[in-house]
Amino acid sequence: MPKLTRRTLLKTTAGAAAALATPAIVRAQSNQLVIGCAASHTNWMEAIVVPHMREAIGAEVIFEGTRSAVNLEKMVANRGNQYLSVIQMDDPVMLQAVDEGLLDPLTPEMVPSLSELREGAIHLDGMWANYAQPWAGVAYNTDMLDGVDSWEALWSPEAAGRVIIPSLQNTEGMWTLFIAAMLATGQPFDAAQYEIDAAFDKLGELRDNLLSVYTQMPQAFNLLEQGEITMLPGNFSSFALPRRDAGSPIDLAAPEEGIFVMPSGVCLVDGAPNRELSAAYINELLSADLQSEIADFTSSLATNTLSTGGADLPEGIGVYSPDWQFVAENRREWTERFDQLMAL
Amino acid sequence: MSTARADRIGLLVLPGLAYLGLIYALPLFLLLLKSFRDATGALSVAEFVQIFGDPLQRSIIARTLRVAFLVTLLALVIAWPTAIVMRSARGGWLSLFLVAIILPMSLGVVVKAFAWSILFRSNGFINQSLMTMNLIDAPIRLLFTETALVIGAANVFLPFMVLPIYAVLQQQDPNLPDAAATLGAGPYQRFFKVIVPLAMPGVVAGCAFVFSMAVSMYVIPSLIIGERQQTVAMQIARSFLFLRNEQLGSSLSTILLLIAVSVVLGSSWLAARLGARQ
Repeated sequence: MPKLTRRTLLKTTAGAAAALATPAIVRAQSNQLVIGCAASHTNWMEAIVVPHMREAIGAEVIFEGTRSAVNLEKMVANRGNQYLSVIQMDDPVMLQAVDEGLLDPLTPEMVPSLSELREGAIHLDGMWANYAQPWAGVAYNTDMLDGVDSWEALWSPEAAGRVIIPSLQNTEGMWTLFIAAMLATGQPFDAAQYEIDAAFDKLGELRDNLLSVYTQMPQAFNLLEQGEITMLPGNFSSFALPRRDAGSPIDLAAPEEGIFVMPSGVCLVDGAPNRELSAAYINELLSADLQSEIADFTSSLATNTLSTGGADLPEGIGVYSPDWQFVAENRREWTERFDQLMAL
Repeated sequence: MSTARADRIGLLVLPGLAYLGLIYALPLFLLLLKSFRDATGALSVAEFVQIFGDPLQRSIIARTLRVAFLVTLLALVIAWPTAIVMRSARGGWLSLFLVAIILPMSLGVVVKAFAWSILFRSNGFINQSLMTMNLIDAPIRLLFTETALVIGAANVFLPFMVLPIYAVLQQQDPNLPDAAATLGAGPYQRFFKVIVPLAMPGVVAGCAFVFSMAVSMYVIPSLIIGERQQTVAMQIARSFLFLRNEQLGSSLSTILLLIAVSVVLGSSWLAARLGARQ
């Protein structure tokens, strides 16, 4: 048996350290970009964005699909040593990321496509920008329902045990809350969105119709496709409509009270690896051509004024976007209240 | 073996201890520390007081314990006859049993959960079977219920109950029941006075494994019962990942850890006591 000397110990230790450090060194020098996004982005990220980025900017994109809140937690946990370069998440969580000082502002020099975006799509002097935004309504099973004319259908006796709603931990969960406020008060959206007590009273009346509350949307969507539930409120075009087009017995309704725009944002992580390549990624994502392609695929509303195609929305239906600052300030309290209200 | 050589061999344990200390013990210690501090960093048990004063949190802890107990019980009920049959099996049959027990562990919980949703849904296999047998008139709700969670979790953790019991049964002298029979013991007495007492260390170990895993499971309840019926592990994830309330998350983690440690220590004590009795 070879003798363990100080020299062999040092050599072995150095070798082990080099072996452990190699992946990090290789990764830092590579053209790899790790993108944080939502699990529901998987379809169009794989089909459109990954091949586009490889061809247009020579980037190998690896994406981690999860909830926006989890992406935020990853940024906080890795502060000063980030591995995520770019994050695609929703506006209310972007506000929290700004408060934590986690974002690197976008400038027109780094991201020329910013100058082509419509008004209101760039936030807090470039902290983040919106790209192709899906619209949200009520997804329903077409074998069981002819359509959903009104959000009130969720509260109907026929829907007992046949509805799953998103948790307020998910951005799309806000739509059910705001609709409950509109239905309870009879006020227009702009005023109703601040009537949260009335919204919770109305949501309380929905309890008996609920099969469950989800934080993982694909599972709930699977139950909708199987016919176990008839309606999935708050669902959005980028997920539901490609499934419908693939032959699934579902559709997305735009009820008469109105629909919502998902606040899809993209940001550059402060201290991101491959900063220049990351900026190039964002520039491409916001560009007219790529937004047109994503908007067509997901029936979304492009934010680039030069984009074409995208969602074909029903006429005469209100399209709402809430006061996200108000949401960000109160979301934690609302979530606690929602969980108490819905708990069995 | 000389004492000096034994000491050198003993050094081999150091890398393992260092690894466990760094990766397991240190983070746990920091977590415990955090649970006894408030948001300003001062020592406090306020979070524990708040948790036990909140009816929702109490019901979540009660549900977690109830589900873990029922999962352990169901796994034991299924594992006991399985282990008995495996003890008698030889050659190809034994390999088949072992593969049947171990192979499903390689299948992800997410895949299993989706498969269970097909079984549990209102027009799924279970409801259809019960209706065909005229046991029920209309489909009963199984999805998003504690019943479904107990069945699903027991399925996942079953190998951890079967294998310790099988290992203990296999070590038993196969002639012992016959010897008891020659002394006049009937089948009932042979089973309850000979086989069961000798298998108890395996049963205790299996119960400790399954209860510890069931009490802290996160993915399985997240997929099977959803957000309306939370468990402590789901609350911990929610506290850290969504509410970003580290005090609440670490205090709940401490409670969960205390439950798991109590079960492991209690079962070790019981196993040692039963072993000593034999």
